[in-house]
Amino acid sequence: MTGRDGFLDAARWGLLALLVFGPITGLVLDGYQVVVHWQQPVWLAALVFGGRLLLNGLLATGPGQRLARRLARGRAGGSVLVVAGGRGHGRIWILILLALLSLALPFALSKYWINVATLALIYVLLGLGLNIVVGLAGLLDLGFVAFYAVGAYGYALGHQYLDLGFWQAIPFCAFLAACFGAVLGFPVLRMHGDYLAIVTLGFGEIIRLILNNWVEFTGGPNGVRVPHPSLFGLDFARRAKEGGATFHGYFDLPYSADHRVIFIYLVLLLMVMAMVHVVVRLRRMPIGRAWEALREDEIACRSLGINHVGIKLSAFAMGATVGGVGGVFFAASQGFVSPASFTFFESALILAVVVLGGLGSTVGVIIAALVLTILPEVLREFADYRILVFGLAMVLMMVWRPRGLLGLRRQAYGVDP
Amino acid sequence: MDLHIIGQQAVNGLILGSIYGLIAVGYTMVYGIIGMINFAHGEIYMVSAYLTAIFLALLTAFGLQSLPVVLFLTLLLTMAFTALYGWTVERLAYRPLRGSTRLAPWISAIGISLVLQNYVRISQGARNQGIPVLLEGKFRLQAAAGTVQITHVQVVIVLVALASMAVLTWIMHHTSLGRCCRATQQDRRMAELLGVDSGRIIATVFALGAAMAGVAGVLVTLNYGSFDFYIGFVTGIKAFTAAVLGGIGSLPGAMLGGVVLGLAESLFSGFVNTDYKDVFAFAILVLVLIWRPSGLLGRPEVEKV
Amino acid sequence: MKRWHGGLTLLLALAMGMAGTSRAWAGEIRIGVAGPMSGSSAAFGEQLWRGAQLAAKDINAQGGINGNQIRLIQGDDVCEPKQALAVANRLVDSDRVQAVIGHFCSSSTMPATEVYDEAGILGITPASTNPKVTERGLQYIFRTCGRDDQQGVAGAEFVVKRLKAQRVAVIHDKDTYGQGLADAMKAHLRTLGGKEVIYEGLTRGEKDFNALVTKLKGLRVDAVYFGGLHGEAGPLVRQMREQGLDAPLIAGDGIVSEEFVVAAGGPRYVKGVYMTFGADPRKIPEGKRVVDAFRAAGYEPEGYTLYSYATLQAIAAAIKATGSTEGTGLAQWLHDNEVQTVMGPKSWDAKGDLKGSSYVMYGWTEDGKYAEVQ
Repeated sequence: MTGRDGFLDAARWGLLALLVFGPITGLVLDGYQVVVHWQQPVWLAALVFGGRLLLNGLLATGPGQRLARRLARGRAGGSVLVVAGGRGHGRIWILILLALLSLALPFALSKYWINVATLALIYVLLGLGLNIVVGLAGLLDLGFVAFYAVGAYGYALGHQYLDLGFWQAIPFCAFLAACFGAVLGFPVLRMHGDYLAIVTLGFGEIIRLILNNWVEFTGGPNGVRVPHPSLFGLDFARRAKEGGATFHGYFDLPYSADHRVIFIYLVLLLMVMAMVHVVVRLRRMPIGRAWEALREDEIACRSLGINHVGIKLSAFAMGATVGGVGGVFFAASQGFVSPASFTFFESALILAVVVLGGLGSTVGVIIAALVLTILPEVLREFADYRILVFGLAMVLMMVWRPRGLLGLRRQAYGVDP
Repeated sequence: MDLHIIGQQAVNGLILGSIYGLIAVGYTMVYGIIGMINFAHGEIYMVSAYLTAIFLALLTAFGLQSLPVVLFLTLLLTMAFTALYGWTVERLAYRPLRGSTRLAPWISAIGISLVLQNYVRISQGARNQGIPVLLEGKFRLQAAAGTVQITHVQVVIVLVALASMAVLTWIMHHTSLGRCCRATQQDRRMAELLGVDSGRIIATVFALGAAMAGVAGVLVTLNYGSFDFYIGFVTGIKAFTAAVLGGIGSLPGAMLGGVVLGLAESLFSGFVNTDYKDVFAFAILVLVLIWRPSGLLGRPEVEKV
Repeated sequence: MKRWHGGLTLLLALAMGMAGTSRAWAGEIRIGVAGPMSGSSAAFGEQLWRGAQLAAKDINAQGGINGNQIRLIQGDDVCEPKQALAVANRLVDSDRVQAVIGHFCSSSTMPATEVYDEAGILGITPASTNPKVTERGLQYIFRTCGRDDQQGVAGAEFVVKRLKAQRVAVIHDKDTYGQGLADAMKAHLRTLGGKEVIYEGLTRGEKDFNALVTKLKGLRVDAVYFGGLHGEAGPLVRQMREQGLDAPLIAGDGIVSEEFVVAAGGPRYVKGVYMTFGADPRKIPEGKRVVDAFRAAGYEPEGYTLYSYATLQAIAAAIKATGSTEGTGLAQWLHDNEVQTVMGPKSWDAKGDLKGSSYVMYGWTEDGKYAEVQ
């Protein structure tokens, strides 16, 4: 567009920004009055005006137009990349190196950062679980936090009522979460995209509200204390419970609060590695392919004879299992669960991990989980803007790369001539 | 059971339902025209509550004394600015995604919802805000052992809700804009072929829905007097429940669904338990979607293969 | 399947971890102030912060503690247990504080104080009134306020003996503090021979309580006891008055804030509202200078501001007397000694509760202020 048009366009956007931002940022409520802060909307409007002017200017140039064309192509394209298989050998060494690095990591970090890393790994686990449901099977689940809560509360209440320990809780909660997954999946079998999303959202909220209200059983808003895991009966506490021994006592080490945190991190790391392996395997098996086929076109899937009931239920159950295990680790590392940890925002966060990482891409999910957990800790001074930036990132990502950062790569199997 | 208590709960439910209905209209119109659930609509409603308080304070600071004039101007300004918000959100977050994957508008909507919540929280502070009580006075009806009452503000709510519905229905059925909207809703490609600028129509629908949410925000602020940046989430979901209950895509259905949900909630709170009121509302949502997704006044969707 | 991106991220985290270990300056005493600095309870968080801030300024102006200056580090828990835990861990591991004033919401204080206790760091809450905070046998945890079992008792006594109410409704907001307070009141009500006609919870964050109010009207209640915060108490009392339920509303210290008046829709609507709170610290002579200093700076030290000031004074006194910041010594000293604070002399019992703390009933008046009920 011409210079004048570009300028007018930018001016229009600037005016719009002024009107939109004006009342909310410029007139701040204080009791029953308003206080005028005219700088904020003016700055924002100027920013929008300048930015748009710049954009229009860039788009008028040659390189700008080439970039625009490339972006449009990227957005419209199918972007499921099929790569030729068989480049295995180099990768093994990278994987081993990474594994060793992550095993050694906790011994170099302070307790605070080990906790952050543990939280990041939990989100990796949750992201993997949701990835199965949303990324692979294409079922938009907005209530994934329900399975996370089932896992965490399963451990907490299991300990309270059934005297479950950490190691017994893992399979117990995995199974419990899988049951919940199947139970959730059953009524939504017939539903499509949007309705499915809302029903799952409803389920997530129902679970949270029940946990909050059923005070006699779940402790309500006060939450439930959760014991920390032990290693073959050795507690990681300063003083042992009666009849037991402590970890530092057995190995003759001075007591350090770090031991417990490192232990949880290592166990979680092993679990994450195992889960990644399982998920990667599943993708190549018939069930994984059936999930992806379901995502692409359900009706074609059914017409080819694939039993969509079993596929959907298995997707929900598998995703729920992984989520439930994540919940157990969350409860174990925090030592405490309460309904306030399982709000819709958590579901949105896990969904963001999956979406930003690339629906279906395991590597992408891992990276996204690490980034989304570690970045806010690094940028603690901007904590106020964290969720705002987060929401913006989600919108921008969808506008720019709807298929996620890394897109999808599928292994191609050729036939040797 | 005391008749006047049932009557009062029914009145409570009607008021609540009118609010849900006004917000539900936004959901239903957007879904009808582009088949997308605007998850951020609840936050638009929240923004309009803030705008109401801001404009009210601003107009009184300018020295305007007459209450009806102040209220009327506040209503107009809030509706206008809320419509602007609705239009902007559509333009920035949804239009670029038309034709994209099925999931993209959802993620974008959730993102916008978070952005709006936190934008308001950062700009205005996270505390409860309020407006002073402006309209007092109530109507009282004798019924059996006691009275049923409805305040003036609540009467205004019901009347404004009905009037807005009437105006909107008139727009939809008796203006060319409405005709274009209905055409785009039925078959967008065909409408475009016949010269309808579907982009503009869709934007207008978003703006109209947002304006209705703006009306709801004004009424809610006048009625309850207190709000904060988080009111959009649960009310949004409940309004969506109302839209689905009434039949998504159907305008009278939105209002009907709202009233039914409001009544159900009030009666449940009143006669069973306030603790599980929200569980009850969400359970209704889930059950309706499972057993009768087309709602009360909707037509069952036929899927073309 | 991790690519080199993953490795790079891990290396980055490693570097951050190294950098993150706190730069501790010698000759400085770091004290954390944790509470809801943002969110709907931010008004209370501000009270805690301002109180501690002025106290630190005053103490530093007089040379600090044994020559060391106090540095306050803020932690925002948004009144949520999960955030509180994160804040606690950060204060202990990353900021390496030597004592903590906090938190505000009982639901946050519970998990956070376990972290402080385990780390051997003194944690004193100026405002969490849930009894469980000091019933866990944690030696490093104290409080400079009363307990809900005392507060609920005071509420019940007032309702039964002063208001002579026969049909009492007990409502709570389903949160740790609110429900705990309501339960304490209910228990004492029963020992006084009364019984509540209804015990129910409303949802925090909601504004429409009309159905509940109608239910209360139908039950012909003549007093409503509410355990919760001003965000809900305000709309509740307004809707009560609008529906013609003129019964008094009695609440606890969760509505001790002028924001309650805003939430209720104006000063007219707070008539007939009572609340329990400690003796108004602004009236204690020791505190007059401090109160005037706050007012001169344009801040009304309502609610828990002076409690927070007193808490920092207590910590400073303990550090000064023991000559170190070692937690065990500090805790022992506080158990054994009395501290002169802006709220008068304070001393603690074996559990960490204040010895001799009493609750007083206040009534809100039509001009939007509160005053002691005589």
